[in-house]
Amino acid sequence: MNDNSFYQVYFNCELETKKEVHNFISNIVCQNNISIKEEVVNQLIRREKAGSTLIAEHVMLPHIESDHVKNSQIIFIRLAKPILTWDDHIEDIRLLIVLLLKRSESEHIKKKISLFTRTLADEEYLNRLLNSKEKYNFEQEIIRI
Amino acid sequence: MNIVGVAACTVGIAHTYIAQEKLENAAKKAGHEIAIETQGTIGTENELTAEQIAEAHVVILAIDVKISNRERFEGKRIIEVPTEVAVKSPNKLIEKVEKIVEQSYQERESK
Repeated sequence: MNDNSFYQVYFNCELETKKEVHNFISNIVCQNNISIKEEVVNQLIRREKAGSTLIAEHVMLPHIESDHVKNSQIIFIRLAKPILTWDDHIEDIRLLIVLLLKRSESEHIKKKISLFTRTLADEEYLNRLLNSKEKYNFEQEIIRI
Repeated sequence: MNIVGVAACTVGIAHTYIAQEKLENAAKKAGHEIAIETQGTIGTENELTAEQIAEAHVVILAIDVKISNRERFEGKRIIEVPTEVAVKSPNKLIEKVEKIVEQSYQERESK
């Protein structure tokens, strides 16, 4: 798989609410079909209800496994401005790392994603991503497995 | 202290592996031996051996879903938390585990 399509970066993204973030992600999965987009948003909401996807201060990890995902991807969304109120419990979100997993994905890609998610346990790494001022520096910091 | 555990989350691709990594790092930092099995979308990895389980003073289950082979831990001291606790506060969790284990040893000695 081409690394450029596997890792996507949206830097200084002007999203202001959780709803806008969910719509943005659903748009990446599918641009034309409204019912598929709704289903993706619902999956994201269901996952959050099952347990918080906040993995560190300012950083969320929304993730779904879906029939609608055609190619598994890791998407970095660095927000232009923090989302100060994500919901009743979560505030000041600045970075979202989105995992889109295709249903029945190959073992190789699943392994690749799991190795990537392990790197997110390193808070210094997340801080470097949070503190990168330029898109180039941000992209350089990403640990590509 | 010897710690074993299992990490498993709903989708099985994200929190499972971060929880494993964070628990291992926090426990090692505190001077403990630790082995965490993951039950994720790839299946079971880093599978615990019967010997590791037998030698463990405590079992940490950082899980959001039902896990396979839970009966292996019967008779052991089990501490169960959602994965997000292991992801967000691994050091605090290890401190809590230390206190629980210490307390139960003290109780046993005083009997």
